Amino acid sequence: MSRNLKLFIMVLPTIILLVIFTYIPIGQEIQIAFENYNLYNLSNIYFNGFDNFIDIFTSVDFNFAQIVLNTVIWVVVSLAFQFTLGFGLALLLKKPFKGRGIYSGLVFYPWAVSGFAIGLVWAWIFNGQFGLINGILMRLGIINQGIGFLSDPHFALASVIVVNIWYGIPFFAIMLLAALQSVPEELYEAAKIDGAGRFRRLVNVTIPYIRPTIASTILLRTMWILNFPDIIYAMTNGGPANSTNTLANYMIIKMYSFYNYGQAAAIGFIIMSILMIYAIIYLSIFSRLERGII
Amino acid sequence: MKKLKIFLRSLLKFMALGGYLIFALIPLYWVLITSFKGPKELYTFPITFWPKSLDIENYKFLFSFANFGIYFRNSLLVSLGASFGALIVSVLSGYGLSRIGFKKLSNGLLLAMYLTQMIPGFLLMLPLFLMLSKFGMINNLFVLGIIYIDMVIAFGTIMSKGFFDRIPVSLEEAALIDGCGTLEVLYRIVLPVSLPAIMAIFSFFFVNIWNELFLAVMFLSSNDKMTIPAALNSFISKAGISWGVMSAGLVVALLPTIIVFAFAQKYIIAGLTEGAVKE
Repeated sequence: MSRNLKLFIMVLPTIILLVIFTYIPIGQEIQIAFENYNLYNLSNIYFNGFDNFIDIFTSVDFNFAQIVLNTVIWVVVSLAFQFTLGFGLALLLKKPFKGRGIYSGLVFYPWAVSGFAIGLVWAWIFNGQFGLINGILMRLGIINQGIGFLSDPHFALASVIVVNIWYGIPFFAIMLLAALQSVPEELYEAAKIDGAGRFRRLVNVTIPYIRPTIASTILLRTMWILNFPDIIYAMTNGGPANSTNTLANYMIIKMYSFYNYGQAAAIGFIIMSILMIYAIIYLSIFSRLERGII
Repeated sequence: MKKLKIFLRSLLKFMALGGYLIFALIPLYWVLITSFKGPKELYTFPITFWPKSLDIENYKFLFSFANFGIYFRNSLLVSLGASFGALIVSVLSGYGLSRIGFKKLSNGLLLAMYLTQMIPGFLLMLPLFLMLSKFGMINNLFVLGIIYIDMVIAFGTIMSKGFFDRIPVSLEEAALIDGCGTLEVLYRIVLPVSLPAIMAIFSFFFVNIWNELFLAVMFLSSNDKMTIPAALNSFISKAGISWGVMSAGLVVALLPTIIVFAFAQKYIIAGLTEGAVKE
């Protein structure tokens, strides 16, 4: 047997697993999106055209425009703060200081914890009666009565976004810190000789040099946050009154609570279409980056 | 004047780092002390910020009445088993893709793996559930483990291929001429110098699988099969589970991956930033 054939056989288990458990299910997911498929009525599965999509777009309980708006806010606000704070943290950690290793271990750990479990912890911290935040605000005399952070539609989306920001800072800090450490010291020396202050050096030297990392982490993370229902599911499950529902969480609700698999698959189809468009944009931006156009 | 400026700058930096440290650690502190609060202290008003006494009742309840020992065992079994399985499969395919003589084939397969990375796990759980329930293969930890392997191997292949690409082939060529087989070369020559990468990949797998919730909830219906995330999910709607018991369960859910991260931090960070930085 030739060596190339042996090497190909080594790749085979991965190919087979991905075909059976990823590629075939994607095809079935698309098929179910156009079927009447309900766990309560399994004997009556049939092709129903765009009915699932029409039901989703016209639903009164789950206003679709609101869900899309929530999703956009969830992605954009989370990403903006995760990036800014993560970049700030990376800049603070760039120069070595005593205890830096231990410090980064203590602040990077959110990367490794379950979004669902930490979401439940934060739900308890935000609790309207016995929560830590209400406890502190009352101790300081700012409020007399607990605020229902997760039960009041005015606060709920902001609260889950705060937790998502907390969860995502380490990723940006880790990636950007590694990029910052790759900037050659000579570039800073040259800028210093030219009389550039700290801020000018950041804008004119650091950011241009690590631009590829900035672009790729932001692009990757956008997609990742869009597809991250764990924290919302744990804290509010889309409530109250749909105020924290995002597309990803909506799909889970249709599956877990309504057993309406056709509609769930239709939401999945919408998410997949967004991902496809996004991937094309991503690849085109990335190839430009590689060629140094951006 | 200059000294004052430097002093103020370090003070500012110190305060920023300290502030963020508190923000990062608050959830961990709060879940830990809540887990040691007895039922009385838990729902007193105003709330207590430091535990008055260390009460281990919540943990006793968790492991006796709430069967948490079984969930812990299930989680450990499926996480370790699937991580090992996925490690073997993805090291093999990463090495195969790295050394195979046809560049077009290897690039095409790599692209097919990158594409699967775009699809989140919860999107696939519905068709997987319907497909496997046809064969009576749900509520089965082994089958769930296979799905978890599928979930992580594309990433593992991409990562290990990237690592193997940077190992010079000259070492292997000498061994091949001496008559070593392909697998033997991988096992004897390549793997010993790849231990950091293997540590990183394994930690990634373990963390991802330990934390997985949605597939576990969908696939595991009976109480003796549940993993920790699925069990915590069932606690939400269960009567008689206080926030104290819930917190004890959350501590058990959170600690293992935090420990893995503490020990493998160096490798995980090296693995995460691999390829993200222009050399």
